[in-house]
Amino acid sequence: MDSSLCHAYKDEIQSLEEEIKLLAEKYEDNQQESISFSDEEILMSINSFQKEFQRPSGGCEFPSDLKAQLESLETDLSFLMKFTGIQFMSHSKKTIEKTRNRTVQKHRLSGNCHSLSFELEFQLLEMQTKESVSAVITDLNIIMESGEDSDVSKFVSSTEEHGNLLTFFRSLSSYAEWYEHRRCTFLHFKVVY
Amino acid sequence: GGLTPTCPLAGEWRGRMEEGKAHSLGGVFAHLEMLEARAREAAMKQAAAEQRKEQLARLEARVQELRQQRDELRAKVELQEQGQLGKRGAMSDPAQHSAQAVLEWKIRKVKSTLQVFYLTGISGKLTKQGVCFCISTAYEGTYLDSYHLDLLTEPQVRIHHHSIPIFIPLEQIAKKYLQTDIRRFLSVLSDHLNAYVGRRYQADQLQEHFSDQIEGTMQRNSLCNLLVFNYNTSSKSETFPFNARLLYGDLCCSLPTEVIVSSASDAPAALAETAAAHSDLFRRLALHKAFGS
Repeated sequence: MDSSLCHAYKDEIQSLEEEIKLLAEKYEDNQQESISFSDEEILMSINSFQKEFQRPSGGCEFPSDLKAQLESLETDLSFLMKFTGIQFMSHSKKTIEKTRNRTVQKHRLSGNCHSLSFELEFQLLEMQTKESVSAVITDLNIIMESGEDSDVSKFVSSTEEHGNLLTFFRSLSSYAEWYEHRRCTFLHFKVVY
Repeated sequence: GGLTPTCPLAGEWRGRMEEGKAHSLGGVFAHLEMLEARAREAAMKQAAAEQRKEQLARLEARVQELRQQRDELRAKVELQEQGQLGKRGAMSDPAQHSAQAVLEWKIRKVKSTLQVFYLTGISGKLTKQGVCFCISTAYEGTYLDSYHLDLLTEPQVRIHHHSIPIFIPLEQIAKKYLQTDIRRFLSVLSDHLNAYVGRRYQADQLQEHFSDQIEGTMQRNSLCNLLVFNYNTSSKSETFPFNARLLYGDLCCSLPTEVIVSSASDAPAALAETAAAHSDLFRRLALHKAFGS
């Protein structure tokens, strides 16, 4: 009798702790997703942050770590954008569903690949199984600037139908390079002749 | 026990005499030991009961504490979500947030953009000696394995570590493109990996969703470019009249280049026609979709 009550309390404690963890994450996600700081504000924060911790009294390790971390991440990001030719102008995401094993987020992306611009939105479902995390794209919607081109629009609708986000980017990359090459060649001839 | 035989307890002795037991010294000791043991046991039982009571009280207090914490968080989140209906994406007052909070926000934002690169197929990070690329693969909307390629850039570009499976012709591709055009190298490698993963996915899906139509397990090689299996068109029959042999000659493609579907030589002509139709189907459609149609 005693021990069953004990078990019941322990079970409830475990489920409450899980619920609290999820709620805390949800709160953080909501905070992250709903506010926005401009680049100037961020620069100001970096500067005031440095000043704050340069005073001899604050001998904390953290501040330089944060700044260094941000710099390293931004360097990686700008390298990737330069290397792949894919530049993201804006990216927003909203967590629609979050349980212990499942997270669904809605993403909105806009950017360009060389001179071709695109806008897309999709839902990303991530599921945690025993061994790994799986990711699936659904509800993919793509808008491309050169959408009037029938080849492009056929490609876009087939990509949307199958949620083929990866193929979209890989094809976009090679198409954009070819397109750019063709454009440069055309311009070259235009100038020369 | 610490009692000396010269000071026996009168009552006990009388009791023992009444029981008619031998009232030798040894007998008295034994009895006293038994009484002590009983007293110890009783004390232990009481201590255990008190401990359980304390534990229960502690657990109950913890449950109350957590319930309160949970309710407070719930209220906070609800408030957030209500507030968001009006001003989603609005700029917030930077004075409200500490410099550290702003930095942490920015770090999270950059990390999430880096995660989007994962979805594009090529992502990575700079290292002290070069770059570590991550090639992700997917079949339609489902992301599958990702592979790492650690490159050194000085004095020339070369591969330091990688997780590319050995049946992918990495050296061949590297020899052709790595020095001259890294982008092309990654693109070709990505084509091979995505095609391999796509073929494997189709075979896995077939095995998982149509196992009653396949005889046993299908034969496949590690590159998943050769599949052989016996199958039936319905799940109710016990025989598997068709044999399919799919060869994927183009390693960058997830559709077969050669399909041979045959039925037993003594099978009716209609079956042979069906086999031919299937052969065509397998060449055009992904394997698990062909079975689903």
